[in-house]
Amino acid sequence: MDKPDSPLSSAERSGDEPFQIEFEGRAMPARHGDTVASALIAAGVQVLSRSLKFHRPRTVFCLSGSCGSCLLRIDGRPNTRSCQVRAEPGLRCARQNAWPSADYDLLSAADAMFPIGMDHHTLFTSPRPLNRLMQKMVHQIGGLGRLPDEDTAAEGAPSAVCKHVDILVIGAGPAGLAAATAAAHKLRGKGRVLLLESQSEVGGSYLCHPELGRAEARAALQRAEDEGVEVLVATAAFGFYGEDRHREQPSEQRGLIGAASEKVLYKLSAERYIYATGGAPQNLLFVDNDRPGVLSGRAVGRLLACHGIRIGERPLVVGNDEFAESLTAALRRSGQTVMTIDGERERLVRALGGTWVEGAEICDDKGLRRTVSCDLIVIAIPPAAASELLVQLGASVELRQPGGFVVKADEHGRTAQQHVFVCGEVSGTMATLAAAAAGARVGKCVAVELVEQRRAKASQPAPG
Amino acid sequence: MSEKCIVCPCEDVTLADVEQAIGLGYLDIDEVKRFTGLGTGPCQGKLCMVVTCQLLQKVQAADPSRRDRQPESQKEPHPFTPRPPVVPVSLYVLAAGKGADRER
Repeated sequence: MDKPDSPLSSAERSGDEPFQIEFEGRAMPARHGDTVASALIAAGVQVLSRSLKFHRPRTVFCLSGSCGSCLLRIDGRPNTRSCQVRAEPGLRCARQNAWPSADYDLLSAADAMFPIGMDHHTLFTSPRPLNRLMQKMVHQIGGLGRLPDEDTAAEGAPSAVCKHVDILVIGAGPAGLAAATAAAHKLRGKGRVLLLESQSEVGGSYLCHPELGRAEARAALQRAEDEGVEVLVATAAFGFYGEDRHREQPSEQRGLIGAASEKVLYKLSAERYIYATGGAPQNLLFVDNDRPGVLSGRAVGRLLACHGIRIGERPLVVGNDEFAESLTAALRRSGQTVMTIDGERERLVRALGGTWVEGAEICDDKGLRRTVSCDLIVIAIPPAAASELLVQLGASVELRQPGGFVVKADEHGRTAQQHVFVCGEVSGTMATLAAAAAGARVGKCVAVELVEQRRAKASQPAPG
Repeated sequence: MSEKCIVCPCEDVTLADVEQAIGLGYLDIDEVKRFTGLGTGPCQGKLCMVVTCQLLQKVQAADPSRRDRQPESQKEPHPFTPRPPVVPVSLYVLAAGKGADRER
């Protein structure tokens, strides 16, 4: 690490005075607005974690809280997503799951011992005592992290909060922000709109977009707050519980969303739900596709747009959509020599290098192979719809290429469940501005319908 | 690093592992998940599920008769059951849910 030939560069980083965080006993510079992950990447840390079984070196891939390759021990807590923790002066962090260190991990011998893969069905051995010893060893080597330093009970009891609102919007990306804003505007203060964001910062794919970035995310958040939208940041909806209800909910209603922040458990319900959960960045299948230096397009875009971090001098961008094009243009503007392949006519076969990418092998549609030299591989393909919560509540999905398991909905975003709506990437609208437009349309439509339904109810003669 | 094509980075499941499962006759994403352990790590399948479903779709399209020999399997590609929690939640926070506010 910190090698002179490190392809990580932060030459263009500017902003307020840097401060320091502690990384495995050493001081590392960080800047206001950094996450732990972005600060370490800017400081030249190449290996951020070691994989579970083979102890292969890893670094960030998605940078948006969905993958599991940036887990660090932060302030005594194991397995914390370093891309979602704000860097603060004096914060302590360390890599885990490696011996003697993550840079030179002897346990990575497992990678050579199992050259094809690890079929755990054949890991049992005989005689019995040897098997017992081996199982013990496997348990020692495997697993993620060690228990927390202190008993978390010392930090005070967590609290539970129940909320019933008129419209609950899940996901504060372009679609969710626009939907919440439009819905609150239509309700004109006569109803509560709650917007949930799982990440530590609102904006979703705005934050990864080189032309929009934090400025657009903040402007969209301001518009939402001006309309009276309540926003909960760093609060992730983790499940739909169809049989349960909470004390604030109307007595005839069943089903709630469980959500959690660091200290608070939320039980949430609403008259209408709008899911704008976005998508998870995807990787392609090629040899050594997990080598550090293979990053999602969103991660690279976010480092550039939000943190002013440029990685490498010669990136190879794989992708052919609007986002891949705008990212390529932005990387070129930042002074990098960018190569591009579309991922279809020409596809990646292999990532070359050591603990960081040094080149790539590419194969074209005629089967011709060539090797290029690069110091970053950017996988800028569309994300896969984050439809897990919707599948839990029974929405129907279809597998699309690209797009993953996209939720089926009508032109107003309504799913088969009458009170559940979708917009943005989770419903297959991939482009950032199109997702925002779809969100505004769906949000307005949901609010208008809710107002009309209430008016109709009020004009009906009271029963009895 | 020995050469590997990783399908599931959280659990280190390789393409060879998935192909072995397919070779043994597992054509459903839930079966492949149970056999290889993919999708059971910190990200709960956000990186590996779609790409595996697309592989399975290709295998089935190449040999439709394989599916007919397994009439109990689902016909359409489907995600594996996404049980809560879909994102990691600390037990410390979940513990706040017991007690007073629980109503049925």
